[in-house]
Parts: sequence; structure tokens; C-alpha cells
Amino acid sequence: MKLALVLVAAAILLQPATRADTVTDAERATDLNVNSRYTIESIGFMDQSQYRLSPSAMEEMRLLIGAKLNSEALNRLVQHVRSELRAHDVTFKLVRGGEPGSVKVLLEVDPGPGRIDVSIPQFGYYTGQGWTAAAEATATLGANTLTFRALKDNDSSIEQMAGIQTSYARHLADDRIRLGFEFDAYADQYDPATLAALASAKPSSLGAGAYSSRLNFEPSASFVLAKPLTFTIGVSFEQLQPGFSAAPLESANAVINTLRYHQLWSSDATTQQLDAGYSLHAATTLLGTDLAYTRHTFDVDYLYKHAQQLLEVSVLAGVIYGRAPLFERFVLGDSTDLRGWDKYELDPLGGNRLAYGSVTYGYHILRVFYDAGSVWDQGNAPEARQSAGIGVASGLGLLDRGAFLLAVAFPLRQGHTEPVLIAGMNF
Amino acid sequence: MIVWCQRARQPALRYFIVALTAFDLLGLGISSAELAVRSSGDELQIAAPRLHFLTGKSLQRLHDGAAVPFDFQLTVAAGSRNNVVARALERFVVSYDVWEEKFSVVRLRDLHKSGSHLSASAAEAWCLDNIFASSSNLPPGQQLRARLEIRAAEQKEPAIMPQDTGISLTALIEVFSRPSRPQQEHWALESAPFRLADLKP
Repeated sequence: MKLALVLVAAAILLQPATRADTVTDAERATDLNVNSRYTIESIGFMDQSQYRLSPSAMEEMRLLIGAKLNSEALNRLVQHVRSELRAHDVTFKLVRGGEPGSVKVLLEVDPGPGRIDVSIPQFGYYTGQGWTAAAEATATLGANTLTFRALKDNDSSIEQMAGIQTSYARHLADDRIRLGFEFDAYADQYDPATLAALASAKPSSLGAGAYSSRLNFEPSASFVLAKPLTFTIGVSFEQLQPGFSAAPLESANAVINTLRYHQLWSSDATTQQLDAGYSLHAATTLLGTDLAYTRHTFDVDYLYKHAQQLLEVSVLAGVIYGRAPLFERFVLGDSTDLRGWDKYELDPLGGNRLAYGSVTYGYHILRVFYDAGSVWDQGNAPEARQSAGIGVASGLGLLDRGAFLLAVAFPLRQGHTEPVLIAGMNF
Repeated sequence: MIVWCQRARQPALRYFIVALTAFDLLGLGISSAELAVRSSGDELQIAAPRLHFLTGKSLQRLHDGAAVPFDFQLTVAAGSRNNVVARALERFVVSYDVWEEKFSVVRLRDLHKSGSHLSASAAEAWCLDNIFASSSNLPPGQQLRARLEIRAAEQKEPAIMPQDTGISLTALIEVFSRPSRPQQEHWALESAPFRLADLKP
């Protein structure tokens, strides 16, 4: 309860300023920049990089767009962005807009010669599954980025894993190409329901039983095909250590292809955002894999925000052919999808088919959501599940820096239902 | 051999002097441009047609659409340079219209005093035309020397200082009481010695 009160208080305190708060009358009267008579048409970045900004920074940007240029407000935004990106410097440049009397603001980020960032990108709680947390340190030197992450994840997969993720990335061609290599090591544990399901009958679609640890080596390359469309290709070499030490290692080696589209439209009081992606994991014997499978996932997320109201619609679908290991199988009933349900109750081994949709309505910091979907195995009939919830949030989820979420979700079904508490923060 | 060396050294010396002068002008911002002084009633006015401070990083910031404040200090010394008998301090905020490609200047002490639709050299001249030192207390027969210092305010510095009706003299005195930072653009130039009685109106 105390946690809830703290989060609600934080939500109120962290609310973005209204336009009147952002630009004071005194600032308007004393703006000495001759360009203050022009209207800001858009605000963007000069380079091709994808920057991750908090909802409050995005809101600050949105409030400036469509208004007359105000130097002090723009300088505040620049300092806000600099602080969030932990950049050495951020400057702005005004260029003529599309219409006479309008200007475009371009932000130029100077990351500096080298820096180290430490963050906690994920920290959350879900009733029945416990805590999930990740801590991350990133060292940047020129176009090179080295990231080290320690995590404990009870949420996103059937397995409950704790481990490390290390990755190296090099940005080339004005950030249009990114070459990367990732190494992950996890120790895995399982919910009793999963172990019981594995012991009772091994489904033919499950590629491996319980494994005690997992190693992943993953070189990849990303290309900006035509902004905002990016394509990533890589190879994942996964080694699974079975629970019994005498059993041989199993491998799940797959080619990974991802196509992503991310676009943001913003006008005076309205923001629209579309994020869509298709991902293909193809584990083939050409790569020497013990488990051969293909995994297709397709996701779309559309956001419409006008003044204090927002509507978000998400769709997720997936299909697996072949024998995929547990970490690749689809899950619903966690802190982001089909909230309110227990994923081990829905399917303790995950499924190889997935269909899911979600609608969220928000007013100010209040959020109301409705989720519906099903995860099942090929050959079985899908059973649609629904849930609803209410809560407070500063963003749409936990993906944005500084965002928080506190919600109560209910599975919609006949008979006794127990609400699930979801809490999370990203800082 | 000696002749060759001397011939070789003469242009080298010239290049060295030119380079030193360029360093002096660009790096340290000390200009040898002439500072002309004239009298107008109870005020001393200045002109420096060869001085250009809308250059370099400041000019780039202006072309990027930012307003750049410039701090001016005009001092008049009697006898030795340290014996300052008159001082004027002003902050001018310059900005560049990205549509009209013209400069605007506002004198911060008096926000109603401004110039617009100016070329770069006209904007520079406008600033010089709007800084005066009082001549009422100057010794008429003593040899005087005027000195003008200009500093471009740094990027993080707000255009308007806390006393929002303009700018406090205390704040500007503080600005000029400390040496300029290595990255800060600054200029300085001095007049030839003169006597108040000899000045033309």
C-alpha cells in the first residue's frame, strides 16, 4: 500500500507541464531572438540515431511544436534532452519550415569522446511471479558501444532466468549500419507447474526439456533501409545445458531476421506513433542445430494521443513450426501481455501459436486496459482469454526511461478471480 | 651559405610575424583595429570600422538560429591604463532571422532600443553606436586612452541575467573582472592617446 501511495504521489509530481507552465508570459515578453515570431513546425534530431527519451521529454517537445519559438523553453528542452541522453552536449539549429513563418528545430547530440552510463532499465513486480530486475552499464567510445547487463527475469518467458548479457556494437555510415556481437549466459529455474508438465508428457512440439543453463553467441548487423525502416540479420548460437549433467549439450542455432518500422507524427496537440515489426528465427541443420524450427512473430503497436487523452492498440501474433526450446515458445499472462492471468495456468510450457490484442485508454495518468488473446499448441483448439485492469502510469509501459506503472488487473472468467498487482519502473 | 640562410630566414621571419599576428587576432582576439573616439555632448562615442566580432563560433550559433549575447565594456583611462576615469557597460543580444537572413540587435539595458534587418557589419556598427561613456567628469587637458572589450557570452549563459528588466551593472562588472575563458571569444582594442579638448564633435 505504501508503495502504491509513493507511486501515485510520484505520478502527480512527475506530470508534464501544460503549455502555460512551459512558456511563461515573462519569457514571451523578453524573448530577444528575432526568430521568436516564427512557429515551430517540428522538432527532430540531425543524425539518423534512434534516441530514447522519457515521456516527459516527449511531452515537452510536443508542447513546443505548433507554438511560437521561445528561446528559454527551447534551451530547457535542450538541457532536458542532454541530461536524459547523458550527452556531452546538445545544441539546436533552426532551419526554415515548409510554410513561410515556420521553422524546424533540429537537435544535434554530441556524445563526447567517451562515457559510461549506468541505469536500471527494468524493475518490476507481478503477483505470483515475483520480481524482475535488470541493471545495465554502457561504455561508449566514439562509434563503439559496450554494454553489460545483469538481470533476473521471471516475467518474459516460461523459464525463470538469472544471468548476464554483454554486447558490443559499432555504428558505421552515419549510424545507418550497426554491427554487433552479443554474448549471454543464464542460469535457469522453473515453476513447479512447468516441471510437472514436463514430467507428465513431453509435447512433440517442444524441442528440449528443462535445461539448467543457457549460453548465447549472437553476431548481427542492422541496416537502416529507408528511415524509419530497419532490417537486422544475425545468427544466434544457443547452447542448452540439460538439467542432468551427464546429458549432452543441445544446440539451437538460428538465423535471425527482423524488420522494424517506427514512425512518429506530431502536431500541435496530437501525437501518433506506429511501431511494427516482423521477426523470423530459423534454426536450420545448416548451422548444426540439434533443434530445427522456424519462429515467426508479427507485432503492431499504434498510439494516438491528443491533449491529456491517449488510445493505444497492440496486436501480436506468432507461429512456430518444428521443435523449439522453451525460451522460444510463446507466453501470455505476464506484466505486458494478457495482464491479470497466470502464465503457468494458461500453459506451463508455453505454446507454438499466439494471437493477442490489447486496447489501452488513458486520461492524464489514469490507464484502463482490456487484453484478449490465446496461446496454444498446434492441433489443440485455441481458447480465448480476456482480462481488464486499471492503474496509473507516466508512459505507455516500462520501455521509456523514467516511466512507471502501477496497475491492478483481473482475469475475466467465471468463478473466483484474484486480482494481480503489477508494478514497474524504469530509471 | 650564409646568404642563403639569411634569404631563407627573412620570409620565414615574415611568416612567423604574420602567423603570430594571426594567432594574436584569432586566438587571443586582441584586435589591432583602430578605435576612433569622438565627442557628442557629454558623451564619448566610438567607431571601429575594421572590427568584426560576428565571426567564428558566434556567427555559427547565430546562423543556427540562437540569440547570442555580447558583453561590451568601454573604459577611458587617464595617464596610466589602470587609472580608469570613465566606464560604460552594455549587453547586446544579437540574433539572425533564418527566413530573412538579416541580423537583429537588442540593447538589454533598454529593450525598446533595437535594430533590425541589418547586415553583419551594420549590426556590429549598431552595437558600437549604442555604447557611450560619459565625458562630464573627464579631465579636459589630460592625455586619455579609450579601450573597448567585447566578449561573446557562452552558450549555456542565459541572455537575460536575473534582474530581468535588463542587466545589472554589477553582473557585467563581474563578467569583465575575470579573465575570459580559453574557449570564449573575445576582442579588445585601444584608441590612440587623445585629449578631450582635441576631440571633434
